[in-house]
Amino acid sequence: MSTKEQRERIELLQGTLDLLILRTLRLGPTHGHAIAKAIEFRSEDVLQVEQGSLYPALHRLIKRGWISVQDGTSENNRRAKFYRLTARGRRQLEVETGKWDKLAGAIARILRPAESEGES
Amino acid sequence: MSRRKRMMEDLDQDIRDFIERETQDNIERGMPPEEARYAALRKFGNVTQVKEDTREVWSLVWLEQLWQDVRHAVRQLGRTPGFAAMAVLTLALGIGATTAIFTVVNAVLLRPLPYPHAEELVYVHEILDNYGATGVAGVSEFAAWRDQSRTLNPVAAYTDSWFNLAGGGDPERITAGLATSAFFSLLGVRPLTGRLFLPEEDRPGGPPVAVLSEALWKRRYRGEASVIGSSVTLDGKAYTVAGVLPRTFVLPADSKIDYALWVPLIANQTGAGPMGVVRVIGRLRAGMRLETARSELNTILRSTRAGGPEGWVKSVTLSTWQEQITQKSRLSLLLFLGAVGFLLLIACVNVANLLLSHAATRQKEMAVRLAVGAGTRRIIRQLLTESGLLALLGGVLGLALAHSAKDLLVTFISSNLPALEPIRLDYRVLAFCLALAVVTGLAFGVAPALQASRVSLNEVLKEAKRSASEPRSGMPFRDLLLISETALAMMLLVGGGLLFRSFLRVRGIDLGFKSKNVLSMTVDLTPSEYTTPNVQAAFFQQLMEKIRGLEGVQAVAGSSCPPLGNRETSVTTRLNVEGQGVDVPDARTTAVSPDYFRAMGIPLMQGRYFTEADHESSLNVAIVDESFARRYCPGGKCPGGRIVSWVRRREWLTIVGVVANARDSAEAEPHPKVYLPFSQASEPYMTMLVRTAGNPKLWTSAVRSQVASVDKNQPPHDLMTLEDLRTQSLTPRRVSVLLVGAFAALGLILASVGIYGVVSYSVSQRTHEIGIRMALGAARGDVLKVVSGPRLRAVLIGTGLGVAASIGLTRFLQSMLFDVKPTDPATFVSVSFILLAVAWLACYIPARRATKVDPMVALRHE
Repeated sequence: MSTKEQRERIELLQGTLDLLILRTLRLGPTHGHAIAKAIEFRSEDVLQVEQGSLYPALHRLIKRGWISVQDGTSENNRRAKFYRLTARGRRQLEVETGKWDKLAGAIARILRPAESEGES
Repeated sequence: MSRRKRMMEDLDQDIRDFIERETQDNIERGMPPEEARYAALRKFGNVTQVKEDTREVWSLVWLEQLWQDVRHAVRQLGRTPGFAAMAVLTLALGIGATTAIFTVVNAVLLRPLPYPHAEELVYVHEILDNYGATGVAGVSEFAAWRDQSRTLNPVAAYTDSWFNLAGGGDPERITAGLATSAFFSLLGVRPLTGRLFLPEEDRPGGPPVAVLSEALWKRRYRGEASVIGSSVTLDGKAYTVAGVLPRTFVLPADSKIDYALWVPLIANQTGAGPMGVVRVIGRLRAGMRLETARSELNTILRSTRAGGPEGWVKSVTLSTWQEQITQKSRLSLLLFLGAVGFLLLIACVNVANLLLSHAATRQKEMAVRLAVGAGTRRIIRQLLTESGLLALLGGVLGLALAHSAKDLLVTFISSNLPALEPIRLDYRVLAFCLALAVVTGLAFGVAPALQASRVSLNEVLKEAKRSASEPRSGMPFRDLLLISETALAMMLLVGGGLLFRSFLRVRGIDLGFKSKNVLSMTVDLTPSEYTTPNVQAAFFQQLMEKIRGLEGVQAVAGSSCPPLGNRETSVTTRLNVEGQGVDVPDARTTAVSPDYFRAMGIPLMQGRYFTEADHESSLNVAIVDESFARRYCPGGKCPGGRIVSWVRRREWLTIVGVVANARDSAEAEPHPKVYLPFSQASEPYMTMLVRTAGNPKLWTSAVRSQVASVDKNQPPHDLMTLEDLRTQSLTPRRVSVLLVGAFAALGLILASVGIYGVVSYSVSQRTHEIGIRMALGAARGDVLKVVSGPRLRAVLIGTGLGVAASIGLTRFLQSMLFDVKPTDPATFVSVSFILLAVAWLACYIPARRATKVDPMVALRHE
């Protein structure tokens, strides 16, 4: 892992990891390793998931009732813990996504006023 | 298995799984297995840390941190035992005193009466138009309510009377209860043995039956079961004993009557209190409101008006029985609670002050903790835990204090209390005490904690020694504390002062007669043995002569209704004055012996005293007092005028004299009085007043034996000296004064300790500065002024605020004051003076130490 690579990577904002986990689980139940890999892969390696924050985040979501955990068998027939989005988690994801869009849009308008004005 | 534990096991498995997958990925990327595993582990990072962080999601972090804080607080307090002891003791005093008073308030005002569904019990009494609430109701109205009411079921009545009990031992005067048959079932009482009254026994002419109290049964009949069905003699009439009431049955009336036995009310109606009035209670039917019941009973009352006495317009009022019983004690109890609350506040302020000084010595500790990364909130929490711990310790100690003080307190203030169940510490008191501890812990802890956490890191860590002059930010807050505790102490002092002055006023009142060296003793004759006024008068005549013959007896007189007496039958009667055409609604008539005025030292103003010549067959005469003469006699000249009494034989009475006013009691509004010679207006009862040459108590047994020598079946009762009666009548007031006075004194002591503490702290903080000032030539007076000036200013402001608040609050005391205005200037001035003098001393003593500072030593101190 080069230093350049690390500099290009962005630390996740507080709470964003929760959103990404929920989004990832919307595709179907999966295990912890796959969640981390999926986030890294889908962000083209820009977002690095620290294991130090992944597990506390997963358990925080379980505690809030947005995801559940159960035993399952993975593709190569190994037993693993599978995390699954609950109905409440699905609703929460919509709310959070909406909020995120607003936030991102607002920040973008402030940072790039000319562009957004030009576009409109 | 707890959810947390299960989750942690899941986590373990998941982490293992994660690392295995990562290893697998690495192997697939071409790493050798050993290295692949190592890389996976390295990528995962600190497994223990991840587990810790995840565990925190599931753990009650605050609980664990609280435990840490508590352990730290215990260590901290152990390091400064003097400070801890001072704080805990101050709090224990405040919390203990408050809890003790609350224990009584709880027992009297909050706990339900000791009967099933006590909240449904209501008390019914009548209001007379020109008189006010009577506290009682007529028997005929009661009967109408009992038969017709649909809102109350049942309705019962009771009252008390006296009987001479004979048979089975010496005759004795006993207090008996009279109750209707529904009374005991209404209160859920079951007999200890035998039975209670049957409905057919509770009607005019019903069979004479009685129910004994357990105490009388045990004492007089040795608890023998054979007494059931046997007969006892009451006022010469035989009553069959039907049953025995258990000791647990108590009647929480406001006067502590010891009922020896009970008889049915309606059958014994002749004895049913004065003028046939009774106390009426009832049970509100489910879903009925007091207001509904009141209007119904009023309607029934109006429908029965036909046979009632003319001129008296009555209406009904209803309250819950508990309210009725506790009415008299409510105000004084609330006063005590308020006073003790102020004391608690002063204690809190003092402890806050202590904590501030304590925090100042710990500034470095706080700075270090902040510097190594403790959050401000965490530090505030730590400090609050310490104050909370202090408060809890104070609470526990206070509870112990309250527990040991409670019996003392109850004995002390029992004159203000209805006789209720034993007063004890129940769950409500415990909860109260706990809440008090928590609230006080927060109250005195928050401000110091906030202040201590606002430490300027640089300054504190840089300065190895104490700052040269006091920190600007710290002192104003301390002065605020001083201001508030001075104001609180001032309010307590004003309250205590006003009550004390009222007490002095009442005690100092001239009753209009000489109460020194007078023994009083009452004899109630058994009506069946003394049936006519003549025999009654003859008995008392003979008794008085016998007592007069005793050595050392200077005078003997008799009165049917002596002053300071507890006879409720002091007759308020309507009179008509000849030629005036108006009724005198509120005159009191009393039958007295001819010697009465001389024996009591009541001077004659006009006309003559009664003489032996005023006997039963001579002209009907009366003597009135000055207030009667001033109001109803033309030109205040009474002798020769004539009055007619509605209660007496309705014959004309000729006024032969006017005597000076004599009051029945110090506090009651004096009524105009009419005295009648007992030979013309005999009653079957009379109180002997015996003036003796020395302490009247020494004559007690001699006087008592004279009654037996006339007729051994007539028991005398209430042998008391008039002085004792007078003292007794002052007891409730004395209790209020002593209790509120004690709280005020404690408040003053705590406040001065607080002032003392602040000044000595400031002196110790400023030794260096004082040294410089003195080295530069400051005089002692200047130093004193610098050190104590701001504190004295705070005390003055506090006193001013206390005066202002007192002016606002003392009007709530109004009904407890006597002849003293709530804003009595003399009281305000004198207690301010006391407060300021004590505060000045508390300032001066520690400030003087500052003047003894040796500049050399102080400067080397740096």
